[in-house]
Amino acid sequence: MTDVADPSAVDLFGEWHDGAGASGMRAPGGGTAYRALLPATAPGPGQQYRFEVDLDSCTGCKACVAACHSLNGLDEDETWRSVGLLVGGTAAPPTTATVATPVAPWQQHVTTACHHCLEPACLAGCPVEAYEKDPITGIVSHLDDQCIGCRYCMLTCPYEVPSFNERLGVVRKCDMCKDRLAEGEEPACVQGCPTDAISIGLVSTVELQAGLAVDPSARLVPTAPRSAHTQPTTVYLTRRPTAPHNVVAADDHHVVPAHNHPPLVAMLVLTQMSVGAFVLSHLLDLSGVSEAAGSTASAVLSWVSALVAIGASVLHLGRPLVAWRAVLGLRHSWLSREIVAFGAYAPLGGATAAASAGWLPNGLTPWLATATALVGLAGVGCSAMLYAVTGRPYWRLDRTVARFVVTMAATGGAAVALADVAVAGGEHAAVAATWVATCGIAVGWMMTFVFVARHRGAAGPLGRSVSLLTGVLSPQMGLAFGASGVAVVIAGGASAGSPSPTAAVVLAAVALLAVLVAAWIERGLYFTGDSPDRMPGALR
Amino acid sequence: MSRFALPIPQLRARTGPRTDELARVRLASAGSARGRQIPVRHAPTSVASSVCGFCSTGCSLDVHVRDRRPVNVVPTDVYPVNSGSACPKGWEAMTPMSSAGRATTPLLRRGGRLEPVSWDVAFDEFCSKVRRVQADHGADSFAFLSTGQIVTEEMALLGAVAKFGLGMVHGDGNTRQCMATAVTAYKECFGFDAPPYTYADFEESDVVVLVGSNLAIAHPIMFERLQRNPHRPEIIVVDPRATETAMIATRHLATAPKSDQTLFYGIARELIAREAIDRRYIAEHTSGFEDYAAFVADFDAGRVCAATGLDVESYLGAIDAIAAGKRVSFWWTMGVNQGHAATRTAQAIIALALMTGNIGRPGTGANSITGQCNAMGSRLFSNTASLFCGRDTTNPEHRQEVADIIGIDAAAIPDRPSWAYDQIIEGIVKGKIRGLWVIATNPAHSWINHGHLHDVLERLDVLVVQDLYADTETAVLSDLFLPAAGWAEKEGTFINSERRIGRVRALHQPPGDARTDFEIFQGIAEVWGCGPMFRRWRTPAKVFDLLAELSRGRPCDISGIGGHTGLDEVAVGVQWPQPEGSLDTAVERRLFEDGRFFTPDQRARFVFEEPTVAPERASDRYPLVLLTGRGTTAQWHTQTRTGRSPVLAALGPEHLYVDMSPADAEARGVKSGDTVAVTSRRGAVEARVFVTPSVATGQVFLPMHDRRINVLTAPGFDPYSRQPSYKHSAVQVAAV
Repeated sequence: MTDVADPSAVDLFGEWHDGAGASGMRAPGGGTAYRALLPATAPGPGQQYRFEVDLDSCTGCKACVAACHSLNGLDEDETWRSVGLLVGGTAAPPTTATVATPVAPWQQHVTTACHHCLEPACLAGCPVEAYEKDPITGIVSHLDDQCIGCRYCMLTCPYEVPSFNERLGVVRKCDMCKDRLAEGEEPACVQGCPTDAISIGLVSTVELQAGLAVDPSARLVPTAPRSAHTQPTTVYLTRRPTAPHNVVAADDHHVVPAHNHPPLVAMLVLTQMSVGAFVLSHLLDLSGVSEAAGSTASAVLSWVSALVAIGASVLHLGRPLVAWRAVLGLRHSWLSREIVAFGAYAPLGGATAAASAGWLPNGLTPWLATATALVGLAGVGCSAMLYAVTGRPYWRLDRTVARFVVTMAATGGAAVALADVAVAGGEHAAVAATWVATCGIAVGWMMTFVFVARHRGAAGPLGRSVSLLTGVLSPQMGLAFGASGVAVVIAGGASAGSPSPTAAVVLAAVALLAVLVAAWIERGLYFTGDSPDRMPGALR
Repeated sequence: MSRFALPIPQLRARTGPRTDELARVRLASAGSARGRQIPVRHAPTSVASSVCGFCSTGCSLDVHVRDRRPVNVVPTDVYPVNSGSACPKGWEAMTPMSSAGRATTPLLRRGGRLEPVSWDVAFDEFCSKVRRVQADHGADSFAFLSTGQIVTEEMALLGAVAKFGLGMVHGDGNTRQCMATAVTAYKECFGFDAPPYTYADFEESDVVVLVGSNLAIAHPIMFERLQRNPHRPEIIVVDPRATETAMIATRHLATAPKSDQTLFYGIARELIAREAIDRRYIAEHTSGFEDYAAFVADFDAGRVCAATGLDVESYLGAIDAIAAGKRVSFWWTMGVNQGHAATRTAQAIIALALMTGNIGRPGTGANSITGQCNAMGSRLFSNTASLFCGRDTTNPEHRQEVADIIGIDAAAIPDRPSWAYDQIIEGIVKGKIRGLWVIATNPAHSWINHGHLHDVLERLDVLVVQDLYADTETAVLSDLFLPAAGWAEKEGTFINSERRIGRVRALHQPPGDARTDFEIFQGIAEVWGCGPMFRRWRTPAKVFDLLAELSRGRPCDISGIGGHTGLDEVAVGVQWPQPEGSLDTAVERRLFEDGRFFTPDQRARFVFEEPTVAPERASDRYPLVLLTGRGTTAQWHTQTRTGRSPVLAALGPEHLYVDMSPADAEARGVKSGDTVAVTSRRGAVEARVFVTPSVATGQVFLPMHDRRINVLTAPGFDPYSRQPSYKHSAVQVAAV
């Protein structure tokens, strides 16, 4: 929040409240605005449009939400703007307190929509170039017919702006009513605000960036995500004394599991099993541990799971028929890169399996296998990056990579073990693979315990994640622990005893299944346990 | 060559069906040279305006109609009340009308179930049920509950048909729950129920005193007017809670609940002591001041601060501000009206305006802000508590006047006053009321202490409910349900808080067999056999003309408006009075500019009484004071309409929250989001806690929109207005 210490804010307020007065100036939209709600000129070089919110005038009537809905013809339950609430201060005892005293009860409604960021994360992440930022106005708009409905922008945007429209299979969002602005008409929310709290202004992009460089922990309003990440342009102005120290959002207590994205879970677990198995099998080959038949079986198993993973990810799209566009964002989108990498990985894996089975010249096998392993690892790397770049602490790169490596080791190890036991007797490769899987599981649990211990009770996103994982999500945690425990016990039992070949195959299959169940739940928790900072919300 | 072209995939699809979904076109508007862009998918073939059907602000809304179906609603640009603005309820006004939950056919209870029947059967059943009850228990044993939600012409016809045609004696409106106090206070002080102000007064004051009014949330468009005040006004908010409105106040007096009567007596004493009063105005235009001054002399600062919990500094500071004001306006809403001593409290506010001469001038007034869209219409023209236009039904001359104007036998007009709402309920308990007809209101949700009311309604021999939806808390209890038309489905007028009569228009068809309330009342009259009495009431326009005749010479004279046609011509509504021949056609007018009131001696009166404590006090067992009020701008009363709009639903909380101070929450070991039981002497409700410093320690707040709230409220009533005291009940809150 910018307070009176910011001279530009004071100037602006001087103009707003003293100049125009109740002159009854006619606003283009029709109503009687008492001050100019649009800038007098178009943005010059180094400038762009921004929303300006006069918090002192915002009473939380939420007409902006309804006006945006009606004047833009949104679907019945679709809204592009929302109004949250911040509260703080000290409760008045049954005596009075004037509002000017610093301990007085304090509340502030906060209207929010797209912030038309200088570094829009929606745009950077979009695999199909469905976002564009106008070079003159700075407005970030969405091409609804270009969108394939992957919803990745809903993960990258820290402000929960893009919203998915089930009917159309695409995401939609605020475009600052750019067609209205082009004709000198105010955006719908500006027209709809009874108290003229929302207006459009010009911002110097250089000054905004310089400010964020000086204060990288700045937020638009208390409790909002850090602005340094995407450099949002909206400015919230107030002339009131600064907010009390104990401000919380009205929905602060509303910490609930996020969406669990089953297709993404399937895609991540299965690609990581595939790549893990492939890499492990290839390493065992190179070190001469594995039998040829076992390698071939591993390659086939990897390949099939890669195909299933890709199928699952396509199902996730709102418009699977135009999925091919996902290559367009290669220059900037980690999702495009992931898609390209796995798009290459699947045929390479198929070719490796074919070569290994003798359907292609056998001399190609090591080359193909090496290429497949490298491309597969690149794909998993892209997967990790595409979550890490969202800036969410729970998905920070090291945490994400560690989880993905554990998944590759556990599921890949179990898969290689099964393949080797099934077709090659499980003499050497299976033993080594079982060790890799067991170590992976152990490391995974160690990481989880350390994470929970370190962040338990902490304020902020990671503390909220721990409270979710140890609270409402604890049954899932228990299931994942149990399933992986079953796999470890089977592995231990199988190596201690000497089961019949058929029993060994069954045991290896059950172990793989158990590991997959654990990995599936763990990956669900990767999504549901995330609780990033967000704009203040209202009571829900 | 083109027919050989390959279908090359578009690399960047800037156009297409999804883009077209959001395409916009320009729609001309009377309010601006260029009009505004509106969505193509909701482009209208015609646009017509109608006054909003939610609150008493009386905003005008443009309904966009295509192929005789409403497609969108946009606030009217050129209308003095809202000039292009609306709150979310206004923007979403059509959604509840188009809801799939609308009742489409009359329903009759047979064997325990409500079954669809034809209108012929419904009217026959209605008449035979009423006749049977009246035959067995007397004509006064069948009562009706009217509403502030239907147009004036309909409520007038209802009052006439029920009382003059069907012989009913007892009929009251749900306006008893919101406005009765203002009515009573004004009548005693001004000689007539006459809110003196116009909304421009919000903009012209230099001191604005808001009492028990969260204007920002309850009346957002009136609040807009206040925010446009260019005089940097002192805004003094008297409210136990630090509301949105208190946040913009220059002075917030967080008084202890129900201590405001004492506060205003104290302020009067200080103003008199400082001689910050208008002796000349008092002498020329009021009576009873000396007694008043003597009475308030006891209310010294020590007494007032002890009662209100205010510190002396802020108390005296507020008085300084009022004393320094040149144009001071006083405004009150439900925080005053819904109290155990509401009438005297409102009159204490009126007294401040009178003694300081702050009335009848721009930016002044003792101004009651009304609740429902047509509460003012109900107060003047519903023929329930009073005979048409503020007449007295016990006065034979008044009865004769009315009979002559509407052309009926004066003997058909009941000569005794109706019971008030709470007396009708009590009448049911005592077996004196055996049948009840409820029109466009939902007492099973809204009536105070309604845990008891459910039992009460069960005792009725016959309950008839007439509403838009057959699933309201009251409708589900009915023996006969009559489906009615809703907003913008019928012709008529609403009268807003500033006395502005605005047009409501039939712009689309009600669903199925639903009929306008007007047609329903006519149908009942015909089947009953009293149709000929109401031949002059054929259409809403004719009824308006009759009401204009009935108003002639009364303070609320509207004989100069020229009927519906006249209203349609001016297009900005007309404030009453507008007598025939009056040359004053200003769009914004206020009353009492000449200092002459409607009392026999044309002087305003000072009325006072020793303050009393609220009937239900906090105790060891129930140590917290429960306050109730509006939750968000997106919720209206019992939510029978607002609950049906997904947008409005998204703007209010999904769960019921009880607001509690940090200290009280800590003492109970609860935090925001925890589930608690809120218990009063009458019942218990589960809610989630919202810890917020906006409520003071020792108090909790619940929004009134949840159907369970009035299980808790204490059944107290103001003795003069008989308005329920929703704002003060003792409760306990405990974790569950």
